[in-house]
Amino acid sequence: MLALAANSLAATHEIASEIARLARTGDLVVLAGEMGSGKTAFAQGFGRALGVTDPITSPTYTLVHSYPCGKHLTFHHADLYRLDRMTELADLALGELLEADGILLVEWGDVVGSALGDHLEIRLTADDPERPERRTIEIRPIGRAWASRWSTLEAALQPYREGNAPC
Amino acid sequence: MLILGIETATEQVSVAIGGHEGVLGLFEIGRGRRHAETLVPAIEFLCRQADVTLEEFGCVAVDVGPGLFTGMRVGIATAKALAQALRIPMIGVSSLDLLAFPLRHSDRTIVAVVDARRGELFYAFYRPVPGGVQRVTDPQVGRPDDLVADLIARGQETICVGDGALRYRDAISEVIRVEFAEQWFSHPSAAPLVQLAHARALREDWVNPWELQPLYLRKPDAQINWSTRGGV
Repeated sequence: MLALAANSLAATHEIASEIARLARTGDLVVLAGEMGSGKTAFAQGFGRALGVTDPITSPTYTLVHSYPCGKHLTFHHADLYRLDRMTELADLALGELLEADGILLVEWGDVVGSALGDHLEIRLTADDPERPERRTIEIRPIGRAWASRWSTLEAALQPYREGNAPC
Repeated sequence: MLILGIETATEQVSVAIGGHEGVLGLFEIGRGRRHAETLVPAIEFLCRQADVTLEEFGCVAVDVGPGLFTGMRVGIATAKALAQALRIPMIGVSSLDLLAFPLRHSDRTIVAVVDARRGELFYAFYRPVPGGVQRVTDPQVGRPDDLVADLIARGQETICVGDGALRYRDAISEVIRVEFAEQWFSHPSAAPLVQLAHARALREDWVNPWELQPLYLRKPDAQINWSTRGGV
């Protein structure tokens, strides 16, 4: 597990783009964290780094937004907040989106984590009321999908390790 | 009676017009735009070229799966909307039946296999009978290993058909006495769909649009554990 500290919205975006740079088609990234913890902000940084130029907005009410990034990559941004039953999750067919040259980021995906298969879990916490933009960001690989990239990811995120972050 | 057949259970979009003389027209495409962008223009193109208006159809036949959710929801929603608007009945046929039926002249056991993605398959076994095929197992969802184990346990001369069979061809070919249907049989087609539906339409073996149900073969439903969603 990697524990990072982002002291500003810009730092959250930078962390998201470092992860996006290492992502490849078929990857699933789960965003966990309370309402207002910065999941959509993270998604915006992540999507920008993949080459999305359209505005990235919250998919809470529309469930899934898909942004084409060139001919062979689509960034899918899903939000499970409104789902109540596992059949509704099946209806979204997230696995099918991944197979068709997709990278998928799922907000609130942790509630159905085991149903999603291998993924990278990113948990955002706003834990300092004095500094409203500060986030603790914990990154945890679930399954083998990120095993070969883990050390590269660790190196790329080294400047943001908790304790290292400049104030 | 003319029948409109709509098939979107795999990556392919397939539309056919069938009548008592058989398949009158077929449009089929396996790549390119997504189902939602291809299907309705395909229906319109086929009707125009065949000089058939929507009002001439007496029934809408649709592949009810199992298959890809992303395709099936487009095909089934379109088929239901057309049937409802035209006030005509519907006939649902399984994707696995559509894969098996064109191989009815084989003397082997047929296993129809649809790629369910993420390492899973939908499959069912059939045996050829005079005039068609008879399903001998319920459609099921399993991993390639489950299918291989099933094939070994049966030990019969078998022919595998479908995009799932081709994708896992190497694993499946380890079983002796298994052969594979040609690649162009590997997606369910609206041509056998309108053929099979025509026979059923003659018996008035159809349903109302609101009664037609997709065959999803999903895992048992459960409530999502929202301990984290708070009091909202």
